[in-house]
Amino acid sequence: MAKAERFVEADNAEAIITRIEHKSRKIESLLKQYKPVEALKTALEGTYAMTGDERCKSAHWIVVHRAIMAIKDVDGMLSSLDPEYYDILMKYLYRGLATGDRPTCDQCLRIHEKLTEKAGLGCILRFLTDTVNTV
Amino acid sequence: MAVTAVHQLAQCITCHAWSADRSMVALCPNNSEVHIYRLVEDKWEKVHVLQKHDQIISGIDWGARSNKIVTASHDRNSYVWNLERSEWVPTLVILRLNRAALCVQWSPKENKFAVGSGAKTVCICYYEQENNWWVSKLIRKRHDSSVTSVSWHPDNILVASTSTDGKCRIFSTFIKGVDARDPKKESRFGELIVQLDLSSSWTFGVKWSPSGNTLAYVGHNSVIYFVDDVGPSPLAQNVVFRDLPLRDVLFVSEKMVIGVGYDCIPMVFAADERGIWSFIRYLGERKAVSSGSRYGSQFSEAFGKFYGQAKLGVSNDAVETSRTRGVVHENCINSIIPLSRQGTQIRRFSTSGLDGKIVMWDLETEQDLLELLV
Repeated sequence: MAKAERFVEADNAEAIITRIEHKSRKIESLLKQYKPVEALKTALEGTYAMTGDERCKSAHWIVVHRAIMAIKDVDGMLSSLDPEYYDILMKYLYRGLATGDRPTCDQCLRIHEKLTEKAGLGCILRFLTDTVNTV
Repeated sequence: MAVTAVHQLAQCITCHAWSADRSMVALCPNNSEVHIYRLVEDKWEKVHVLQKHDQIISGIDWGARSNKIVTASHDRNSYVWNLERSEWVPTLVILRLNRAALCVQWSPKENKFAVGSGAKTVCICYYEQENNWWVSKLIRKRHDSSVTSVSWHPDNILVASTSTDGKCRIFSTFIKGVDARDPKKESRFGELIVQLDLSSSWTFGVKWSPSGNTLAYVGHNSVIYFVDDVGPSPLAQNVVFRDLPLRDVLFVSEKMVIGVGYDCIPMVFAADERGIWSFIRYLGERKAVSSGSRYGSQFSEAFGKFYGQAKLGVSNDAVETSRTRGVVHENCINSIIPLSRQGTQIRRFSTSGLDGKIVMWDLETEQDLLELLV
């Protein structure tokens, strides 16, 4: 019984990985069309990445990272991004800051400043207190 | 301006409660005493000091019908105070707790009161005539952490509680011999009616709407939760907001809630005609704080100080920055109490907080809010 369950879980993870790969291709094509905001929206969509295992989370982070790094006009991006994405974007910004990678941290800090201005401290608090749906 | 009066009555106020005619206020100035003030010719005069507790008093409630005051304290006890010939006489209520009592509220009929505690329990206390004694009955093994707030349903039976385990629970407190048996609502004492697991962090400040149809409580993740149709299939809504978390809420009507908390300014939430709740606006002016800080809170004050130092190389005094802020409260607001009722609506209420102020608010001058109230 336990074995069967694990199979299901593995299947599920595979399905998620496939979806993330599909998403990755979509983002690449959006970036080629100079639509970085659309790419970011696509990257942030879907909460299934948060329920998956570490492998899915890492795969999803790579996709989101790609989209975050492509953002040049932060103000423009935030003004066209719907407020419902703010909380999830904040989570990924902190994931970026946790990598310690210089260019990633630079970019995440720049977006973090603007996002905090726009979404308030409540957005940071929701990231800090959410221990279940981590990215 | 919605503020009608500001009274600096102590250094810090943990809780406050009003007498039935609103001429007197009982408050705890962050110690083991209750101070009762009376308004005499526009000046607050300290008329009584209630001394019996050993530690900080965390909750006060003043019964409007019975004129009895109940207090709960970190010393794990409660006292019921009764006014006998201009003396407040305490009666000890042994709660049988091994942790601090954190909050207290009289039931609507004032024949029972509920105490939430750090011992993961809620005590329901009632008076036993034959023994001349308040008995405490415990609701055990329901909470996984401290109970931060309790609230009575208008039916005098159901109690809602919030806890630092992130859940909001509703219990029956039916006590044989105290409550009349209602065949429609058959429930045992301590029976869990609903458990709402909506928040990912601590929850505070649970309140029922005047009719008891809607429940509101707040999470420490800057979210306020509204629950309709409390029962087997509750309808929940989360409203996220951009500021620091709330600490307490008050239904001023069926469709409007005022929330107070760490952002030092009351926030107004209202439901539209479809029953969708949303943030409306702040109550009172929200002014920018000096020295590069934008958010007007304790946190940003420290933040602003840090920036100010980095940029200017001078240390700016924290006391001074707080004085430049235009908002009425200068620190976390931790309680909000109704002052007057008009039918089911509350137009006037008071707030108190860690800055030691009691502030009275009136919605009468806020035309845009009055339209949403009904």
